[in-house]
Amino acid sequence: MAEAKDLMTRYCDGDAGAFRELYTLVAPRLLGYLLKMARERALADDLLQQTFLKVHRARTAYVRGADPLPWIYSIAHRTFIDETRKHKRAVVRVGEAEELPEVPAGLTGESDDRRDDGRGDPELMAAALDALAGLPVQQREAVVLTKLDGKTVAEAAEIAGTTVGAMKVRAHRGYEALRKSLGKPGEASPRAASKAAGGAP
Amino acid sequence: MSTIDDLSRLPPPAPPPLSPLLEAELAELPPVATRRPMRQLVLLVAISLIYGAGVLAMLTMRRDLHELPMGWLVGAGLAWLLGFVAPVYLATVPRAGAVLPRWQLAGVSAIAGALGFIGLGLLLHPSGPSSAHLDWAGFGRGHGCLEFGLATALVPVVGGAIFLRGALPVGSRRIAAALGAGGGSLGGLMLHLHCPITDGLHVGLMHGGVVAIAALLAAALVPRATDLR
Repeated sequence: MAEAKDLMTRYCDGDAGAFRELYTLVAPRLLGYLLKMARERALADDLLQQTFLKVHRARTAYVRGADPLPWIYSIAHRTFIDETRKHKRAVVRVGEAEELPEVPAGLTGESDDRRDDGRGDPELMAAALDALAGLPVQQREAVVLTKLDGKTVAEAAEIAGTTVGAMKVRAHRGYEALRKSLGKPGEASPRAASKAAGGAP
Repeated sequence: MSTIDDLSRLPPPAPPPLSPLLEAELAELPPVATRRPMRQLVLLVAISLIYGAGVLAMLTMRRDLHELPMGWLVGAGLAWLLGFVAPVYLATVPRAGAVLPRWQLAGVSAIAGALGFIGLGLLLHPSGPSSAHLDWAGFGRGHGCLEFGLATALVPVVGGAIFLRGALPVGSRRIAAALGAGGGSLGGLMLHLHCPITDGLHVGLMHGGVVAIAALLAAALVPRATDLR
């Protein structure tokens, strides 16, 4: 598959097929990021479409030869922040275990019966996602970008529009909060506590 | 933390198909001219310098110009020029391989420029026999310099905002501040060659203040134009 910058250049030259290839290349990763941030598949899908619409409308701002990925991620970041501000739901909190959405299925796009395949305990992963959703937005984003999406601290800072130092602090605090939440069953989410007690969620 | 490690190994989800709105946009996709940062920078600097020279020609050169130390006159002039070009460069030109300008450095340059020129003005302000002094008593009467300086800053700020309109998903406030500081420094350069008032308070707080105030005003107003919404 062609590189993102080549696709972006062809797309700016009027090649619609290059945009579709770019979408195929970038959208899964971007959706993964948005899904971990928004925690709702429908919202993440909507944010993804909004992000690509903004990329399309701002394509004259692209600099030929540049890697478009950090720029596209920044647009996704901004789209998510604007959306959360608009709806005042920076943190999606869950109360009872019965209310929990089937996040692992939504996250991977696979059904429940296919998920327990050695890639980790689905219940614990759901608990981790609960704990992640409970973090403040900035810490959540820092953890998602640096720990889950594999970006360097500098790349994550560039995407989130903050300094490297601030991103390091956010990632550290977020990770510590997650560790505390997942490490102590009494303080963990209902799903994690339930799992730790051996009960069904 | 193994659970988090497990999460990081999850395969990416399958994205939905493109929205009908995007499909409609793609149905008629004209080629577009993309941003050319160096060309924009050269154009912005050239237009701004021509405009600054025009303002200076309208206001006349300072009467004590030939009485002042040449080294200070040239050195300070170059510092003002650098204070104009450097933040504007950082605000418009990304590093190689990047789309977004260096907004972090741009923000630092805006702060450094504002503090630097206020400090230098307060400390270094040689005068000649025909120089004027206002000091504290007449400090307020020197507000014209602030106004002319800000008027000069307008062109680089507006020009930069036009070049970067709708292009910045992050860092727009710092880039705007850098454009303002750069414009303010151009205003300071113009005042350096025009204003014969040489007391430290006036040079520091009015001439240097142009940089700080232009940066603050630009940071407050310009992101409305440059933010990618």
